[in-house]
Order: sequence, then C-alpha cells, then structure tokens
Amino acid sequence: MQNLYWKWQFKSAPYWFIAPFVICFIIFVFLPFSYSVYLSFTEWHGQETKTFVGLANYATLLKSGDFWQSIVNSVLIFVLYVPIMLALALIFAACLSTTWMKWTGFFRTVFFIPNITSVVAISFVFLLIFNADQGILNQILMSLGLFDEPIRFLETPWWARVSVAILVIFRWTGYNMILLLGGIQSISKSLYEAAKVDGANGIQSFWHITLPLMRRLLAFCTILSTLGTFSLFTEPFILTGGGPNMATTTPVVLIYNESFKNLNMGYASTISIFFFILMMILSLVQLRLFREHD
Amino acid sequence: MRIQTRALSIVMLVVFLGIAAVFLFPFAWMISSSFKEKSEIFANPPIWIPAKLHFENFTQLFTEKNFGRVILNSLFTAITGTIGGLFFCSMAGFAFAKYNFRGKGLLFGLVLASLMIPMESSLVPLFVIYRDLGMIDQLWGVILPRLTSAFGIFYMRQYCMTIENELLEASRIDGCSEARIYFRIVAPILIPAFASLGIIFFVEEWNNFLWPTIILRSQENLTLAVAIRALQSGVRTPYNLIMSGSVISVVPMLLAIFIFQKQIIAGLTEGTLKG
Repeated sequence: MQNLYWKWQFKSAPYWFIAPFVICFIIFVFLPFSYSVYLSFTEWHGQETKTFVGLANYATLLKSGDFWQSIVNSVLIFVLYVPIMLALALIFAACLSTTWMKWTGFFRTVFFIPNITSVVAISFVFLLIFNADQGILNQILMSLGLFDEPIRFLETPWWARVSVAILVIFRWTGYNMILLLGGIQSISKSLYEAAKVDGANGIQSFWHITLPLMRRLLAFCTILSTLGTFSLFTEPFILTGGGPNMATTTPVVLIYNESFKNLNMGYASTISIFFFILMMILSLVQLRLFREHD
Repeated sequence: MRIQTRALSIVMLVVFLGIAAVFLFPFAWMISSSFKEKSEIFANPPIWIPAKLHFENFTQLFTEKNFGRVILNSLFTAITGTIGGLFFCSMAGFAFAKYNFRGKGLLFGLVLASLMIPMESSLVPLFVIYRDLGMIDQLWGVILPRLTSAFGIFYMRQYCMTIENELLEASRIDGCSEARIYFRIVAPILIPAFASLGIIFFVEEWNNFLWPTIILRSQENLTLAVAIRALQSGVRTPYNLIMSGSVISVVPMLLAIFIFQKQIIAGLTEGTLKG
C-alpha cells in the first residue's frame, strides 16, 4: 500500500506541478481566445443579445481599411525608430565593452533606466516635452534657431509618428544595448588581438569582426521590435490617443478603442483575430531564429 | 599610442556624458515639474527651479486622490503577482526539465501556444468573463492572468536543467516525496533564478497598464499607473499633479537601480538572454 502511494505520487507529481499553468492557460488564454473567435462572427455592443452575422465583420474589416491603417502605422513607426535604435544600441554596447571606456556601469544603468520605469509616467513627461506651443523641446529648438515656428509634434500625422518613435527609442535603446552587450562579451578576445596584430584599428575591427558576428543577434532584436511595435499601446494611447487622424493608431490601440470606446465588441474581436494571426507568424519566426541561436 | 588612447578615452567620456544627460533629461524635467505650479510647467523661457517648491502637489495626491491606498495597491499587485508567478513558473519549469511523463510534448505545446496568443488579442472576451464573474474592479483580477507566463516557465526550465539528476535520485532514495524535493532541494537551488526573474516580474507588474486600466474603476482600487492616467481630464488636466504622481512611481525605481545596479542589470541581462 505504502509502495503504491509512493509510486502514485512520483508518477503524478509533474502533473501537479504543471496544473496551475494549465488552469491559468484554460481560463485566461484558451477560453477567451475561443470566445473571441465566436464573438468575431457576431454583432454585439456589450449588453444586448448577440446577433450572429456570419462573416460580416470580416467583410467590414477588409473594406473599412482601419485595420490596414493600423498595420501601416506600426510599420511606419517601426521604420522610423528601429534603425536608429539598433544603431545606437550597437554603438553604446561596443563602446561600453572596450577597455578604455570609463564609468561603464553608470552609463549602462542610465541607458537602461527608461526601460524599467513606468511607461505611463514617461509618456506623460514626453507629452509635456512635445507640447507644441509651450513644450520645452520646441523652446529649445527655436532658441537654437533650428526652426522658426514651433513643430506641431502631436497634432500632425507625421510628427506624431516621429514623437512616438522618439519615445520608443528612449525606452528601448538600453534594453537592446544590454542584449547586444551580452553578445559582444561572448566574442573571443583573441579575434580582436589578432586584428590588432594585423594593424586594424578599433573602427575596422568593429566593422569586420563585431558586426558580422552580431548579425543573428541583431536579427533577433529586430524581430522582438517588430512584435513590440504591433502591440504598442501605452505610448500612443497617452501621447496622442491614436490620432491625429488615426496616424498613431496601432492594432492594439484600435482594438481598445473599438471595444471599450465604441463598444463594437464583435468587430473588435474580428480585429483581435487578425492581430493574433499576425503575432503568431512573427512569434514563429522568432522561435525559429532563437532555436538556431541557441 | 598611449596618449592617443587616453585622449580618446576622455573625448568618449565627454560624448557619453552628453548622451547620458539626454537620457536623464526627461526624469529631471519630471522631478522639476512636480514641484511647480501648473502655469510654470509651460513657462517660456522654461523654468527649472520654481520660485516656490510646491510640496502640496504631493500632499494633495494623498489627501484628495487617496494615493496612500493607490501605492499600497501597486505594491500588493506587484508583490503577490511576483511571488505567485515565481512559484507557479518554477514548478512548471521544474516538471518540464526533470520529469518524463505522458503528454509532456502536448503540455509544452500549450506553453508555446500561450506565448503566441497575446493577451491583447482576447481583451474583449476576458473583459466579458470578468464581468460575468464579478471580478471587475478587483485587484485580484489584475494579478490572476499574470500568474503563469511562458517566458517564466522557459526561464525556470532552463535553470532547472542545470540541477543534477543524482541529487534528486539520492533524495528519493532517502524517502523524499516529490513535493518535498521541490521545496527542500529545488527551491533553494533556484534562489538566484528567483531573484532575476522576480525583478523582471516586479517591474512588469509595477508598470502594468493596459489590463488594469480596463478593469479597475473606483479610486480606492487603482494602481499607480492607472491612477496617474486618471488625473488626466480634458483641458483642465493638472499636469503638476500628474508629474508628482509620476515621481512617486518612478523615483523608488531609480533609487533601487542605482543602489543595486550590478545585481539588477546582471539579473535582467541573464533573464532576457536566457528567456
């Protein structure tokens, strides 16, 4: 009897250990997701009985262009910030891993701070900084004589996207720098020494040793940024509310507005399904890259 | 050559100090603005040190906006969410790393699936489920969906792989049950992993905004991020109060990172690279 219990507790242990995850998965992932699929075929505003409308929401989505607009916005914001952010992160990481750089710990911390401090708080500071008529950024730019008129940062579509991009660069450069630092530190020192013997200077060895070896890690960072850009929410939500003229409406902002502002729960679910498919494809790419990276 | 390196070192130090100043600028502006009168925030030319330090920007938050309670709410969700998350993720990670059992592949597939189904794609149904279960405006509702994360399970699984099988076998021969093995053998080994992952979970939960802003309603149940945003109201938004609220949410984090910078950065680096 004792033996039987012993065997049972050994055999069943892994299931008990995983049970909390499975329960959470069912309640917070599987059920909501299935329900989302169902809702995407209905017209529903949150209170009344749901009307089954078949593929009508899907037709609306393809016709209205809101969703495509949100994808295009994300892509534009992505193009505005990713090259700058990754270039900065790589330069910071390369400089902070040299022997001659001083205070590396301090700089690492400073660049990383924006990533762990509250997005809401930081977005509000930038809201003040970007203010067109009285914001400090316009005051600085104009007193330097760079512009004669204040830039309408949050009120014109392109500048609003640039503003969101600046905020994202501010928040995520340090994070990518830390990822890249890990990569740079794993490059063998002997490679650099050999290059030095051959007469290469610092910039040449960065170009010919560091950069090629970091290609995969940079690709990984890019994929992470892609996922991040499509699910961007708090930054545009606070800076612009998704405007002006939907210019900074990302898919998640669109889902939020449709479901909790316009109360189009059915239609919002349809958008969610498209968003899910997009994210799934990107995560598959990420997993693939990561497995090879491992 | 040596003089050259030295000169380069100084030039780069100056350049980086300049960049660091740019990165710290928004925080400086936040702290400065939190002591201003509302009109001083948008003064031209900009005012860095206000004529009078308006400490009432802070006291007002506590007396009128219940921020004492709000801070406690944030601490409560961040701490319980972190502890619960560490507990559940480490158990699952341990099981995936050290046991062979029927359905392991399928269950691990679920972990991957949860990685691929972002919460943002089921906001509506989650909200409806919460409403029907009466969990709207409950702090528990903020914590529950974050108790298990695919990232946390991956991370813990990776860490558990380094535990030696002989150690577990020896404890079994000594008569340890599997639960005892987890609590007495595995958990102590995982302490460094708990620390690194714990920092990540705590920071995420402290700054969490989207889901809390959807379900939290009454002032006494808000978390910091939601309470700051709740101060915003059309043209009459008290930006000085928003800034003092932001200082309250950001400054403890800043102090912590400067005091524990080595541990935090190491933990986060390890965490992000492993996961």
